Amino acid sequence: MARLAPCGRRLLAIAQRLLAIAQRLLTVLLLLFIVLRVLPADPAAPAAEIGATRQQTSLDEALPMQFAIWLGWLVQGDLGHSSHLDRPVAGLLAEALPATVELAILASSVAVLLGVAGGLVLFALQWGGWQGAGGRGTGGRGTGRRGETRAALAETGTMLLMSIPAFLWALLFILVFGVLLAAMPFTGRLDPGLSRPFITGFLLLDTLLVGDPRAFLSAARHMVLPAVALGIGFAPLVMRVLRASLIEAYQADYILQARLRGLSEEQVLLRHALGHAALPTLGLLRAQCGLLLGAAVLVEVIFAYPGMGRLLVDAMRNTDLSVIQGVVLAYCAVVLSANVLIDGLHLLLNPRPRAR
Amino acid sequence: MADLSRRALLGVLVAVPHSAPSAVQGYPKARDAVTIGWPGDVAGWDPNRRFVPDAQPIYKMLYDQPLDQDPRLNLVPGLAKAWQLAPDARSLEVELRDDVTFHDGTKLTSADFRWTFHERIAAGHEVDTARSWRKVVDIETPSATRAIMRFGSPAPTAPAWLAFLGSFVVPKHYMQKVGLAAFGAHPVGTGPYRLAEHQPGTRIVLERNDAYWGPKPTMRRVTVQIINNPSARAAAIESGNVDLTVAMPVRETARLGHIATLEAELNPITRIILLQVRDDAGFADRNIRLAAHHAIDKQALSQAFYGNAAVPLSVPVIPGSPGFLDDFTFPHDPDMARELLSRSGYSPAQPARIRMATTRGQFPADYDIARAIVGMWKTVGIEAALEVLDYARYFELNRAGRLPEATLYSFDNAIGDPEAYAAYLLAPHQPYSPWKDTALGEKVRGLFDVPGEAERIAGWRALNREAVEIGACMPLLRSVQTLVRRKDLAYRRFGNGWVLPQTMDWI
Repeated sequence: MARLAPCGRRLLAIAQRLLAIAQRLLTVLLLLFIVLRVLPADPAAPAAEIGATRQQTSLDEALPMQFAIWLGWLVQGDLGHSSHLDRPVAGLLAEALPATVELAILASSVAVLLGVAGGLVLFALQWGGWQGAGGRGTGGRGTGRRGETRAALAETGTMLLMSIPAFLWALLFILVFGVLLAAMPFTGRLDPGLSRPFITGFLLLDTLLVGDPRAFLSAARHMVLPAVALGIGFAPLVMRVLRASLIEAYQADYILQARLRGLSEEQVLLRHALGHAALPTLGLLRAQCGLLLGAAVLVEVIFAYPGMGRLLVDAMRNTDLSVIQGVVLAYCAVVLSANVLIDGLHLLLNPRPRAR
Repeated sequence: MADLSRRALLGVLVAVPHSAPSAVQGYPKARDAVTIGWPGDVAGWDPNRRFVPDAQPIYKMLYDQPLDQDPRLNLVPGLAKAWQLAPDARSLEVELRDDVTFHDGTKLTSADFRWTFHERIAAGHEVDTARSWRKVVDIETPSATRAIMRFGSPAPTAPAWLAFLGSFVVPKHYMQKVGLAAFGAHPVGTGPYRLAEHQPGTRIVLERNDAYWGPKPTMRRVTVQIINNPSARAAAIESGNVDLTVAMPVRETARLGHIATLEAELNPITRIILLQVRDDAGFADRNIRLAAHHAIDKQALSQAFYGNAAVPLSVPVIPGSPGFLDDFTFPHDPDMARELLSRSGYSPAQPARIRMATTRGQFPADYDIARAIVGMWKTVGIEAALEVLDYARYFELNRAGRLPEATLYSFDNAIGDPEAYAAYLLAPHQPYSPWKDTALGEKVRGLFDVPGEAERIAGWRALNREAVEIGACMPLLRSVQTLVRRKDLAYRRFGNGWVLPQTMDWI
């Protein structure tokens, strides 16, 4: 195969990635379609006129034809009509998707902030500070038995944090900050007296765009508990991976070389070790993206947060198949898009592919 | 998930000291605004489309009905200031008010009335009112304020139905102009409030309609927070996130009642808790059905789950309503239950096996009641496999005729008429009845068309008795609505459980 220019290789890689995404999306669509059709539920049953509904939704056609019709509608941007809410699914998703994305971004930020801070603290505690983080000669433990004890304690602490699921954090936060202290709101997205602007669908952004600081503050307050409840469960994973990556990084030659060049320990950490350690952390975020959105379903339900999770649960309660299909499709698209974004970041930060 | 969260939350909530809640909002509450914690959302904004009882109070904010009910459930004028049912019950004349405008400023006329109750049904719109108004063959509109409904057969309950499920007048001109989808997104009614915002499954915001033809509500803004989980609703009222909420477990309601700033109520309403039954499968044998009914200790259920506030029932109507029978009781008699079962060859050692369904969290203590009934049955020789259904799934299975042998349900009847209980519970041709026996069904069908009031009521009373005696339904308790509100929030209490923000005021 003829050698391609770096730019050509990059374009080919992007094309391959997009093709892979399309394949995954199509597979998900097919699986989703099959699963929903074999459910022991008649999606037309809740409607008053069953015959008419079946006709409108092509439920009387053969299954392959139904799938083809559905794909045709999707291509045209028609995600169907909610049999329960009597509204187009696309409109429902246009409201719910930005809310979930907003929550996921904030929760990820919480997870990364807490995780990075916690990972650095754990690493420092275990190694007795950056200076203690020796190279290969130290055998992986900067301070011997003391370091091992700290490592064991840190391990136990993070395991404990990881074992608490997001919905339990949510309930604890509601109890403590919502009911006991009555300090934070825990239902919906805005105080009852405020109106919701709708420009982009991203409430925090929209309140700023319309210049309503009171609504912005209210929206921000309403997001605190759901975002922290969702993010806090993922922070220990980031901590562990970051700590492990830092341990690995501090045993590499380039750290020793950096020290020999006279860089301070802070410079070594910020310029070299953290950059190296960020890559596995990004990989972790990529892998956890789907799980985070899965956990968001429960968190949204508990906080009456109007996102896709809430929409999905309501649709399942009402056997609203068009909405279930639409939400799962949107979830899939969000996860794949997030993976592409993280891959891009990975490419930017990783020196090896860039050097090739 | 809902179970987990409810249990977990309940577990920790019991440890919460009964301190006075403080507002968690970022600014002081307005005195002309109220926030309600409600268990479910509306199924779209077309009020004629679905008969979801819990959505009716929300629709009553946006729309009006031709007739209304006072708190004691008497029919009173609504959009119609007068009405007259013909002696043969084959026509109903209504005189509409001439000062009513829709939210878009257009005037209500008899054309809108005709559109709502006849034209849109004839046009094939998917509306549940097509069932309730199936007898309408025409509506004459001699003037802009007069309408005469013509029925194909006697419709003695037509006036009551004008104040019942789904009978809200919708604007013909607007609906035709924008189409059903756009109407669903931007509904227009004549009610005391107009829709300001709806986030499906989360919140509904309504603003007062200052051009309202009737009494102006005190509350300028009403926010309905949709909170499905009963414990989450309890937390919301306790923390001050909402000002009033309903349908919580009785024990939780009692706990909240001890908080100084809150008032807790257990209000008997017109709904009835009953077991809807099939006439086939494990319940094909009448002995088993009757044994199942005799085995249930209704007083014990009321005491255990409603603090004795729920009245035990022997017939599927509430005491004091026209179809009630003072002289008939169906006793709790486990010995009789065992005797009946033994006649059919069953005993505790060799039990009859059936399936039973219940909702969970749809009305107070529903799942707990179902489990207690399963326990009572077990002692006499009926083994019931219990399954939990969502509200929507219940409707779906009932429409499809696939409910199990027994289903615990709270049946709504906001008008209290015996027809609205037995007729829909026992009519095999209706989608609300799992009982498909045509012998009883024919009697039900005949009673629909009896025009004379005394004869009609007597007929329903006899049918109620017969239905219980053959085991076609098992009435259990009169429903109790649990309600918790801030003490300084007044509202008008209705016998059918309506909670209407247009009747609320801060005191």
